[in-house]
Amino acid sequence: MTQIQVDNLCKTFRVPEREGGFRASVRSIFRRRYRQVHAVDHVTFSVERGEIVGFLGPNGAGKTTTLKMLSGLLHPTEGACTVMGHVPWRREPAYLRRISMLMGQRSQLAWDLPALDSFLVHAAVYDLPKRQYQETVEELIDLLDIRDVLKKQVRTLSLGERMKCEICVSLLHRPEVLFLDEPTIGVDITMQARIRAFVADYNKRYGATIILTSHYMADVTALCKRIIVIDHGKILFDGRLDELSARLAPFKVIKIDLDREIDGYDFSSLGDVLLREARKVLLQVPKRATPTITDRLLRELPVLDLTIEDPPIEDVIARAFGQRRSSDENPGGEATAASGKAGKEFP
Amino acid sequence: MRVIARSFLAFLRAAIGVMVQYRGEIFLWAVWGLINPTVLYLMWSAAAESNVDQTLAGFDRGQFAAYYLCIMIIGHFTTAWDAYELGYFIRSGALSPKLLRPILPIWDSLAQNLAYKIVTLAFVAPAWAVFFFFVRPAFEAVPWQVLLGIVAVMMAGALNYLLGYVVALVAFWSPKLDAVGETYFGIAMIFGGRFAPLATMPPILYDIAWVLPFRWMFAFPAELLMGRIASLEAALSGIGIQFAWLAAAIILFRIGWSAAVKRYTAVSG
Repeated sequence: MTQIQVDNLCKTFRVPEREGGFRASVRSIFRRRYRQVHAVDHVTFSVERGEIVGFLGPNGAGKTTTLKMLSGLLHPTEGACTVMGHVPWRREPAYLRRISMLMGQRSQLAWDLPALDSFLVHAAVYDLPKRQYQETVEELIDLLDIRDVLKKQVRTLSLGERMKCEICVSLLHRPEVLFLDEPTIGVDITMQARIRAFVADYNKRYGATIILTSHYMADVTALCKRIIVIDHGKILFDGRLDELSARLAPFKVIKIDLDREIDGYDFSSLGDVLLREARKVLLQVPKRATPTITDRLLRELPVLDLTIEDPPIEDVIARAFGQRRSSDENPGGEATAASGKAGKEFP
Repeated sequence: MRVIARSFLAFLRAAIGVMVQYRGEIFLWAVWGLINPTVLYLMWSAAAESNVDQTLAGFDRGQFAAYYLCIMIIGHFTTAWDAYELGYFIRSGALSPKLLRPILPIWDSLAQNLAYKIVTLAFVAPAWAVFFFFVRPAFEAVPWQVLLGIVAVMMAGALNYLLGYVVALVAFWSPKLDAVGETYFGIAMIFGGRFAPLATMPPILYDIAWVLPFRWMFAFPAELLMGRIASLEAALSGIGIQFAWLAAAIILFRIGWSAAVKRYTAVSG
């Protein structure tokens, strides 16, 4: 069942701009210049109930702006969207009661009070029956392991402790759709892993639909089967995580450990040499040519060990953004490796 | 409505919790609210006493004392600071979590406003008693004037709060709102009769004050409480005008809020 439907959603900001320096500052008093920034540019996708979708993209790609429109914080410039049948930016209380948006860099908790006081305010605002509130809060406190920090003032908590309290308050009303904007930003690796495990558990337990943005690839690979890659406000890729490498980077990385040093062997004729050390070589080769090249390497070289891997997802994404940029800069130029493919990528 | 009442009480409890922690700062703000009317009382009573008949615009020293004691009390119950704060919330992005709640952020702000008035009452009420004891104000009010005066003060509180919030909505278009806030407060001080009783004003300014809302927020309840509005008809029509302004402020708020959230750009988060 489709829970989120987004059609040609656009958001354009009018941003004042000027050159640096005093003269430009004075000039701007009389003549202000504005620039149109297309933060989200005709974005279309849908999300099924219970799905966890990862939104990936560099800073300023349009991820957060999209989430803000889906949560009703922002009105779009153009396009349509429904979440559970509601138009988000109408901001109907019935809609806002069914969603939650956790912004890693924004606090919902009262800074000067213990987190427990903010939980009580939340229970009142969402009109939670006392029993339901007690049950949910106890469950969340145990799952997030925050019993010891609840009575401390929020401003005295560590970032990880605060983030767990933020997650707790966001989920008290058991939202059916959850927008997570950088939920693990700034927290250490152990805490990131715990937050991820908790989000996965919440999704399983309540069948909640989750859209997640993160700079940490581990968040996305651990939680999301499906990812949407966005850059310059446009969707570059929408599909399964395991398809991403295949579509955007049809390469394999061959790691070769040699028994002894070899001079004069021309690895570059086989593929891109990523690393060349005395007895270690990292070679990126086209996926289709991998068996032939592997066979040749094993025959021609004293190979001690050889492994074939997919390129790291970070590299794939970086490559996708790099290609996008170069095609923007050279629109009439040669098609990029990933362009012209079927499916929802590089429109 | 039940949800709003439940939420409002929760906001109020939380806001009182915060204010109690910052009681030192709250105390200083409350003191500031006492200084301004005290200085103005001293200035105007000195001016009145320097005249041959020891009056100024129909006020003698005791009447100035009564007027400024009322202004002091009304100032406490009408104080509002959204015109400063909302701009900060928008600039810092702190408004976003409030907008995601299924309740208008104004209820949270109103609860904080009320919490301030409740908590600081413990400081300012004794100060009012001290002021009363030392300056011996000349009150001429009879019970019906006091009763209607209390109603007028409550109406003034609601009106000033809501109009201040409507002004604060400008922050959605121009988030640096301090100058707008200062201008609004300045105009309210002059035309509300806080700098000087309206009777001391030149006729043109006096007439302008009649058609602006500020008179009904400060001077009118003060004059009613001290017994200067003698006829029941004038008192009731004044409260009627307060109601009309409040209705206008509610309409302005609804229109303004609806336009403002469309305009919201969720700056910095």
